[in-house]
Amino acid sequence: MSMTVILGAWIAVFLTLGIFSYLYKDNPFYKTAEHLFVGISAGYWTSIFFWTQIQPNLFGRLWPSSEFSAESLWYKVYNGLSFLSTSVFPSGGIDKGHDMHLSYLIPFALGIMMLLSLIPKLNWFARWGIAYTVGMAAGLRAYGYLNSNVLGQIKGTAASFTDPNMPFFSLTSVSTFNSLVILVGTITGLLYFYFSKEHKGVLGKASKVGIYFLMISFGASFGFAVMGRISLLIGRFVDLIKYSAGDYNNATLWVLVIMLIILGYDAFKSRKTPPVNEEAV
Amino acid sequence: MIWKRQIPILIVAFIGALTLFGWFVEEPNIQAFVDDDATQWYDILASFAIILGAMNLMKMQIQKVARQKKGWPYSIVAIFGFLFAITAGFFIKGVDDSVAVWGAHVTTEGTLFKWIFDYMFTPLSATMFSLLAFFVASASYRAFRIRNFEASLLLVAGIIIMVGRVPIGSLISSWVIMYIIVLALGIGVNTWKKDKKITFGVVGVGIIIVTVAGMMTGWPLDKPAIFYLPIIQEWIYYYPNVAGTRAIMIGVGLGIFATSIRYILGIEKSYIGE
Amino acid sequence: MKALEDLILKIGKVDRRWIFLVLAIAVFIPIIKPIGMPIRATETTKVVFNTIENLPENSKVLVSIEYSPSTKPENHPMTISILRHLFRNNHKVFVTCLWPDGQFMAQDALKQVAEEEFGKVYGEDYVFLGFRPGNEAVVKGIVSNIRKLYTVDVYQTKIDEIPLMDGIKNFKDFAFLFSCSAGYPGTVEWVQYAADPTGVPMSSGVTSIQVNEVMPYVQSGQMKGVLAGMPGAAEYEALMGQKGFATSGMDAQSIAHLVIVLFIILGNAAFFIERKRSRKY
Repeated sequence: MSMTVILGAWIAVFLTLGIFSYLYKDNPFYKTAEHLFVGISAGYWTSIFFWTQIQPNLFGRLWPSSEFSAESLWYKVYNGLSFLSTSVFPSGGIDKGHDMHLSYLIPFALGIMMLLSLIPKLNWFARWGIAYTVGMAAGLRAYGYLNSNVLGQIKGTAASFTDPNMPFFSLTSVSTFNSLVILVGTITGLLYFYFSKEHKGVLGKASKVGIYFLMISFGASFGFAVMGRISLLIGRFVDLIKYSAGDYNNATLWVLVIMLIILGYDAFKSRKTPPVNEEAV
Repeated sequence: MIWKRQIPILIVAFIGALTLFGWFVEEPNIQAFVDDDATQWYDILASFAIILGAMNLMKMQIQKVARQKKGWPYSIVAIFGFLFAITAGFFIKGVDDSVAVWGAHVTTEGTLFKWIFDYMFTPLSATMFSLLAFFVASASYRAFRIRNFEASLLLVAGIIIMVGRVPIGSLISSWVIMYIIVLALGIGVNTWKKDKKITFGVVGVGIIIVTVAGMMTGWPLDKPAIFYLPIIQEWIYYYPNVAGTRAIMIGVGLGIFATSIRYILGIEKSYIGE
Repeated sequence: MKALEDLILKIGKVDRRWIFLVLAIAVFIPIIKPIGMPIRATETTKVVFNTIENLPENSKVLVSIEYSPSTKPENHPMTISILRHLFRNNHKVFVTCLWPDGQFMAQDALKQVAEEEFGKVYGEDYVFLGFRPGNEAVVKGIVSNIRKLYTVDVYQTKIDEIPLMDGIKNFKDFAFLFSCSAGYPGTVEWVQYAADPTGVPMSSGVTSIQVNEVMPYVQSGQMKGVLAGMPGAAEYEALMGQKGFATSGMDAQSIAHLVIVLFIILGNAAFFIERKRSRKY
């Protein structure tokens, strides 16, 4: 096992146990791991988005290698940028299979405006870029949700009650009873959310039935939520067990023992030392 | 003022209408723009937004250190983490160009960036999520109370899904479930009639019927199927649960459609802080 | 009886850290000492399996990976099993990612299954297109013109130079989509912007938390079955006849669920005893 892998294992174990130490109480191990997570996530996502989108799809369309010309003013600008960073702007243009699209200066300008919004006086600059993404998302979702979540679901709720081949009752396959359950449950569940009329009389009874179906859904969601969290916990424990092996110099055991000693000593000290009365001081 | 308010509203209205009607328009230039370039611009702006978020986060951490606010030493840890990840992303690959060029290094084995992903990012993000398992257990124990019929429906559905979906559920015999149902019936009768004789009678008769039926059929594990936990679980999961979820889904779908139209028509202006 | 009631009341007021410890032990012990409980596949898992099994020979299948290491115990075993099934049946696999971390997850899975287990040839049997940011805009881009969205694959090779990409212009050129998803963007976006509008069949593997959100799509036929969390992954492993991580975690999952059900029963018992006593006095 190479040194980088063993070092990585020790760091991974320290960070994992540091986060788990929060279960005992908030402590410096947890705070360190948490803040490291914040910093690394920010750097990680910046790198990923830059290298998978901005460099190939934006710069790759503004300065494609297929249209490189050393004499052109546009590529002289590129050569200047290449002097600053040959990794982002390799010599001869960016070869990602694109043609030149100068229209991409628009998202480039909007993107720069977004970044400039960090300056307090210019914080309104981000609005234009945000407006574009909001408009695009609104247009996409209006259709998507109406089609799949409303019309598609209404279609799925519709049932045939005249099919002679359909059994009346079956637990595991399509049946008249099951189709009725879905139909009644969906309609009464929707009626529960109808607040334009007071829930009295027939509407009151129907919305009561609706809430029973909703409670069953919430109970199922709770069951699945528990299932999901336990699965993730199992994953972490499996990794900790893997890193306790001799190949990794028993990382888990050593880090656990050291943390327990430090946290135990801290707990023992805080019991012995009476709390200081700050007002008296 | 026009730059800060009217122009963003105009951008949302124009792009929103173009994207929405792009679903229904057959004109090739508009379709090409909506389907290809407009989505590429969206992707690029989404990337800039992420970078903006990261830089804003670091700005706040640096301010915390500069002003020596409470917990500022931990902000140094955050800044260190950020700089370390940026170094791996832009300055030190850890391998030469024959293994991975700049750009491919973010996904290639052996690079410093991948090392950070495997041994720092992965353990941190996975452990943060798995912490919730403990809090779910604690919450179930301390807060999950049967105060009324609706709460008991929620609880019973949750327990059936939790136990029925895992292997242990298929090891529980239908007859155990039948006995539990008889006992639950007894509790129900007792709450209603408040008469010990009637309760005892109902429970006793129920237990006798179940026991005789079991002895006659030889106590099969999964029959009658209507009382077999995995089958009950599957029925609940596929029918009444879907009915409730579907009602919520349709309601949410209508809400999202209405909100999207409000954004496109310029009625909703929360993205500019109004 | 009073002593028992007092004991239950005492347990009901215990410090939550003892609950954490009991849960940790309940999860840890079955991992190191497996019990080997039998796994029974549910209907929704069988539908996914049969859909893939019945795909025509040499079908072009799009596999989209949208999960991060945080949900690896639930999603990764599904990806491994699905890739095994597809490669075993000699289908052509195209891998995309809507999440940045999905790229690493996909790479690990392809290395294990495509390279090490099946010895498949990159560019002829499978292509790894990688991650693009933009959420549903990426899905829309794949539906309309995949070659404009992906000009290079994840290794920065131009897709025009990859033999398997010949003839692939958009989403309709695929016979099937499998999305392994942990949230947004993921299964819902694929249903709304790809599968529903085009009619290309799709299935999905989701985390347990997400299952309820996608069940209406499964029930209405917009999705062909679903793999629900780690239990779903374990069921698929059982159907494939190849045990993996998900199967090994099911014992711990079962015991942990039983422990939580016990906690709920104990908590409610304490609640009823307290309520009975307060009514009495």
